[in-house]
Amino acid sequence: MKMDVVIAGVGGQGNIFASLVISQYAMNKKLNVLGAETIGAAQRGGSVVSHIRISDGTIYSPLISRGQGDLLVGMEYVEMMRHIRLLNPKGTYLLNAMKIPTVLNNMGLDEYPAREEILQAARKYCLHGWVIEASALANKLGNIQMTNVVMLGALVKVVPFFDYHEVKWLVNANSPERFKEANVKGFEEGFKLIKSN
Amino acid sequence: MKEKHYVMGDTAIARGALEAGVRVVAGYPGTPATEIVDDCLGVPGVHVEWANNEKVAFELCTGASLCHVRAMPVMKHNGTNFVTDFLMHVNFTGIRGGLVLISADDPGGLSSQNEEDTRILVHQYAHLPIFDPCSPQEAKAMVKEAFDLSEKTELVFCLRPVTRVCHARGIVEFEDLPKDLPAAHYEPDRERFIMSAVEMPKFGGLKRPQIRHRWLNEKQLLLRGIMEESAYNWIEKGEGKIGLVGCGMGYTLIKEAEQYLDQKLPLLKLGTLPLPREKIKGFVQGLEKVVIFEETEPFVEGLFKRIFQEEKIEVEVLGRSGFVPSDGELNVQMILETVAKAAPRVKLAQPQVPTLDLHIPIRTRTQCVGCNYRGILNALKQTVRKHKGIVAGDIGCHDAGSFRPMELQSTIYCMGSSVPMGSGMVLAGVNRPVFAFIGDSTFYHNGILGLMNAANNKINVKVILGENTVTAMTGFQPHPGTGVTLAGEKTTPVNVPKLAESLGISYRVVNPYDIKQCREALEAAVKEEGPSLIVSSMPCYLLSTRRGQKVFEPREVRVDPERCNGCMICINDFGCPAISINKEQKKVSIDPMICVGCALCADVCKRGAIS
Repeated sequence: MKMDVVIAGVGGQGNIFASLVISQYAMNKKLNVLGAETIGAAQRGGSVVSHIRISDGTIYSPLISRGQGDLLVGMEYVEMMRHIRLLNPKGTYLLNAMKIPTVLNNMGLDEYPAREEILQAARKYCLHGWVIEASALANKLGNIQMTNVVMLGALVKVVPFFDYHEVKWLVNANSPERFKEANVKGFEEGFKLIKSN
Repeated sequence: MKEKHYVMGDTAIARGALEAGVRVVAGYPGTPATEIVDDCLGVPGVHVEWANNEKVAFELCTGASLCHVRAMPVMKHNGTNFVTDFLMHVNFTGIRGGLVLISADDPGGLSSQNEEDTRILVHQYAHLPIFDPCSPQEAKAMVKEAFDLSEKTELVFCLRPVTRVCHARGIVEFEDLPKDLPAAHYEPDRERFIMSAVEMPKFGGLKRPQIRHRWLNEKQLLLRGIMEESAYNWIEKGEGKIGLVGCGMGYTLIKEAEQYLDQKLPLLKLGTLPLPREKIKGFVQGLEKVVIFEETEPFVEGLFKRIFQEEKIEVEVLGRSGFVPSDGELNVQMILETVAKAAPRVKLAQPQVPTLDLHIPIRTRTQCVGCNYRGILNALKQTVRKHKGIVAGDIGCHDAGSFRPMELQSTIYCMGSSVPMGSGMVLAGVNRPVFAFIGDSTFYHNGILGLMNAANNKINVKVILGENTVTAMTGFQPHPGTGVTLAGEKTTPVNVPKLAESLGISYRVVNPYDIKQCREALEAAVKEEGPSLIVSSMPCYLLSTRRGQKVFEPREVRVDPERCNGCMICINDFGCPAISINKEQKKVSIDPMICVGCALCADVCKRGAIS
């Protein structure tokens, strides 16, 4: 088996926490894991992407190549679209309905595509996708920084590879003491956000 | 006992050094190498520190090595450039305790001011051996072996990991740390360690530099023999007359690309410099051409051509001198396209993906929402506009002030270049006020020398020191202005006002969250003759927030649409990501999900529309 996961977002959205939880989950299953992250200058409000490669065989490159991704987690609209070609069109995407405009968008010098246009392009690329209000829910729960744990909760619901209890345990174990309770709550609420079909 | 851990390449390198018994680790923060130093911390008996700059780190490690302990200076490529002068001496003297230089390269300039290949500097120029790892696990093994070989050959060894090794995460085996580390001792050996133009009686009066050069040249044979046996170079058999060569990360990407090829091509994996000449000769037997994938310059390619000429081997050598793109980071796509060009009979089976008909806006980085640099940058922007000033910039979070929409700094080169470059603009006689904007970590790196020079030569440059008390961009490493060491011990932070006094230059300390105060200080500096220093002092917002400390009292900020006339000053002269313009209505708005309530924008707005 293999599970290639891409997490795309903007610096500060908590990509690295989410990718660590996913990697540890795979490691606990005795699978091979290899990953790559954007670290450093680009983190400051720039475009960031994490690759997590999971397999029961040998993995070479830490980067997922075009069309190989099984799962694409978009923390923000255009950041997901920026990396959608890494996703296998038969794979799955999970998108947080969050728009973070770029500097040039703010200045009115560049267009941020309309929500409907983005969703249509995503649907045209890949049929198997979910769009959820993770940041809005995190904000309601008290801290938009919890978007990543809400997304993890939803992820567990849509991808059978992940086990609810094991991932929840990892969210708790990886959270700093003062955020443990809130993060676990965010995870649980994220799971409930996806209605079974 | 062996244990498996899922860690970053940098952590694996740190672990390798600790397992090898390193005693002194020093570096200067720089992506992608930063975490190597951080992750060496916490082992009793091992000294780990952030030095002012890479040269200090390297010299300090060499001092330790001459006392027979193992030491590791850590830096990114720019740092290696900075230590070149020292490197060109320590290569002649050699070392005692194992000394392994970590020189991390950043192909594609993902988080750097430039893109370069330090293998050329370290191997071609300084004639020192290099390991070029293809994975975090291999990087760890290489560091350990490099310490042993460094002692055996008496030479500095270098590990050159690229970003995709440093910041890859993989499963790495940890072994036990050594229980006892050898004690330090020192015996003078002036014939080696006094690098000076002195006559050597034993060599008929030839000068010492020439004799030490001869010593280094003689070491090359020994190194070649070692690399011929190295476990980091190997051959994988395949079909056909076209061979692939993968150096470091190049090998990893070829292996990834292999799954899309319908046949296995002969493959040579290389991880050492000097190259294993005999192994290469064996590999190319029966081949018509080889294609070399390496990060980033066609360096091994050039060495192949030289070997083939010397050995009279008629095999075509292709690589990054043009057959493979000569700039940027290697990727699987590039390898597949190159193989298709070199070996048209090989079939590719890569998944086809639909095209995407959507405009994706480019996202440039900026300062954090709430960052104090925005206050001083805005004040400077106003001053510069009023007086037609020029701003020489430097490296650090504030550099984003040079991008759109601020477009304030006119130059950014190396650590500390701002003050001397600004000084040069003044001396050229531009007849406009010249400012130099520099952060504090960069200032202590070597920017301080530029200021001293401006003071000593009475150059009319206006220096703005953005003092946020930490190296923020790379993840909050302490520096001489922080008041604490990497290990958490309290120290005395540099007192900048006293420093300015001792240099005999005027100085003003301002709060960057008070734009009016910043404006007044800048205005006064412009009006006076001679060098002036403005210290914009406030701890980093992001770090303070993480520690639960407030640098301002947050409040709700709103735009009054009646008063806003869409003049864009709050966007063009301030550039906070929370503020955007609605082009139809010609009004700005503040996104409450992004705003952190610093309220600086309220002071930026000339119409009082933001409150």
